[in-house]
Amino acid sequence: MKPKRLSYLLGLAALSLVLLLAACTPESRSSSGAPKAASGGNESTAEKVTIDFWTFWGSETRRPIIEKIIEDFNNSQDRITVKHTYLPFGDIWTKNLASIAAGNPADVIINDYADVNLRASKNQNTDLSEYLSKDDIEKQFYPELWKNVLYEDKAYALPFNTDTRLLYYNKAAFREAGLDPKQPPQTWKQLEEYAQKLDKKNGSTYERVGFYPLWGDFGVDSWLINGDGGNGYFGENDQLAFDTPGKISTLEWLKSWQDRLGRQTVDAMKADFGSGVSDPFISGKVAMYIQTGTYNTQIEEFGKDLEIGVAPIPEREEGSGHWSSGGGFVVEIPKGAKHPDEAWEFMKYLTGVDAQKYWALKNFDNVANIEAAEDPEANKNAVYKASVENLADTKVFQVPLSASGYKDLINPHTDAVFLGKETPEQALQGAEKDVQALMAKSK
Amino acid sequence: MKTTAETLKPGASGPQKKKRSRLARREELQGYLFILPWLIGLFGITLFPMLFSLYGSFTNYDVTSRMDFIGLGNYARMFRDDPLFWKSLYNTLFYVALMVPLTTIGSVLLALMLNERIAGMRVFRTIYYLPAVLSGVGVYFLWIQLLNPSTGLINTMLGWVGIPGPAWLSDPMWTKPAIIMMKLWSVGGGMLLYLASLQGVPSQLYESAKLDGASAFRRFWHITLPMISPVIFFDVVTSFIGGFQIFQEGYVMTDSGSGGPMGSLLFYNLYMWNQAFKLFDMGYAMAMAWVLFAIVLVLTLINLRMSKRWVYYEGGED
Repeated sequence: MKPKRLSYLLGLAALSLVLLLAACTPESRSSSGAPKAASGGNESTAEKVTIDFWTFWGSETRRPIIEKIIEDFNNSQDRITVKHTYLPFGDIWTKNLASIAAGNPADVIINDYADVNLRASKNQNTDLSEYLSKDDIEKQFYPELWKNVLYEDKAYALPFNTDTRLLYYNKAAFREAGLDPKQPPQTWKQLEEYAQKLDKKNGSTYERVGFYPLWGDFGVDSWLINGDGGNGYFGENDQLAFDTPGKISTLEWLKSWQDRLGRQTVDAMKADFGSGVSDPFISGKVAMYIQTGTYNTQIEEFGKDLEIGVAPIPEREEGSGHWSSGGGFVVEIPKGAKHPDEAWEFMKYLTGVDAQKYWALKNFDNVANIEAAEDPEANKNAVYKASVENLADTKVFQVPLSASGYKDLINPHTDAVFLGKETPEQALQGAEKDVQALMAKSK
Repeated sequence: MKTTAETLKPGASGPQKKKRSRLARREELQGYLFILPWLIGLFGITLFPMLFSLYGSFTNYDVTSRMDFIGLGNYARMFRDDPLFWKSLYNTLFYVALMVPLTTIGSVLLALMLNERIAGMRVFRTIYYLPAVLSGVGVYFLWIQLLNPSTGLINTMLGWVGIPGPAWLSDPMWTKPAIIMMKLWSVGGGMLLYLASLQGVPSQLYESAKLDGASAFRRFWHITLPMISPVIFFDVVTSFIGGFQIFQEGYVMTDSGSGGPMGSLLFYNLYMWNQAFKLFDMGYAMAMAWVLFAIVLVLTLINLRMSKRWVYYEGGED
């Protein structure tokens, strides 16, 4: 039939046109991109260069802080202007990926610690060794953080901020239960004793739970680090360390907390937790709670009358170590950015003492620059001071590339323990087996 | 354009075919010219990316550093070595298998009830349709509250009749049923279609059946159901396809898109998304997309086949 054939031909014509256009794109991109970059280099001495800086800091608290830092940088010299682009947390990294693929990325971006190596292996960020050989700033950062910006011994990002987890406790509740508010629990055993004293029951329902290890911001992974001498899932040379005696008994210990309270209580109470005034610690439903250092700003905002203390995470037994876990964000130059030299200048400023000090002071967020972190002014704040001290016991882990995505394999096993479907030993063995299979395949 | 017209000639002057007038051909061509922008859209924005992803599914494409041909590697890995692929497929099939019949039956029943002629019916219709207007993340957060094991409305109501409700979103056995329940709540969209078609059923059919002494159930079974079967068919096919696309529920209603307790809400598209945008394994994700496409295609074809047995079109076939 005629109409069919005509549509077929027209379609074919349109398709070939599209394919032609698509085939042309990379070429036209590189041909127009190359001279631009070259001229950018020439201009930089004479003309001002504008660079684009992507962050996800758009909140009322954080946006003014980062924009003040940018403004200070812009005023400190007359060669580079930094433009701030805010993108929501859920979008920023997919957008980054798309813009790198399109050859038109930001010049500087805030990104996650956990995957610096993955991004480096995929050509998504820029090797900074050349810049570092000129400006040797490695020593200004915490070594634990620096470790995580390396891929094949080369740095692909600079650490910006970090976090660490602490035990917050309610001093009024301590007094009520006959505990000394100056003596927070030091060991797991004490933690259990204190928790039982702090429990407050009304009939069969809990008005207050002394402590439950998995509420708050310290998950199973973090407890396994704490209970296994500060060792994570992956050891030297990506050796797997899942079903170690330390981890198995830690998981058993975590399960015993659920057994004590009952799964129903744990599920039901957790479902009620919110943020702000309905935060379980701020509303007094929980007497001891593990959270990051910046959680204190929430307490100050929503729980003004709360009298709190902070302490390191209790250790398994005396001398085993108050291990905590951390994360945070880095600054990096997406691959293919037009102005890497200028981007580097700005990154140096962002991670330098002045900017980092300002960030710490305004946010009480842990910063990566040691000198800035230990600045006396911010350290007047007791919680901030405790969090800086806690960094010495804080572990930040890089995931081996071949194990990317391993958490999706571990979580079902650890969930199964708390549902009574697997024993801790089975779960950790099963997780190790699954992750091993994953790593074997991707090698 | 002349060239295309010329290339047409051999086909047009085929044997035993009526020659069309110049005018008719011209008009035809003009017609295609008018729709050309949409054709370009279809080919450029739909077909080209599809073909690209088909090719990509045979590579180790990661968007930024490589795109090497690896043959059936992605497909082999999926079927042989990836337990999470099977889990996500199972979760999705479980959801679709329950959600499609339940929402279909639910919306037909609702439409039947709302088709009664009683006072204030408009108000009821509006109320039952309302959930279909609300959408997205707001609804999920509302349901997270409704499903709260101790203070949520659902368990409170179950408590009135002496049933201790489960921890809906933390017990892997109940997570998917909870989401299906949420879908049942917003059957208003389908209900509207059924309502419209119910009102199109000629009343003389019911009258003559009544004269013959048919019971209410028989009238429903032999008149109503066949008459609205084309709409049921349409609804089933579209909710089948929509069901396989489930993503947001798993992403929003679990901690940071982790797939929920024991991975029980790790739906196919969520896992695919994680592979593509968290692990940058785009080639693998593309292969997953094509497998899903094949599954949906086969199921839709089966649906179409089966429809001949139970869908009644007024005016007969052809």
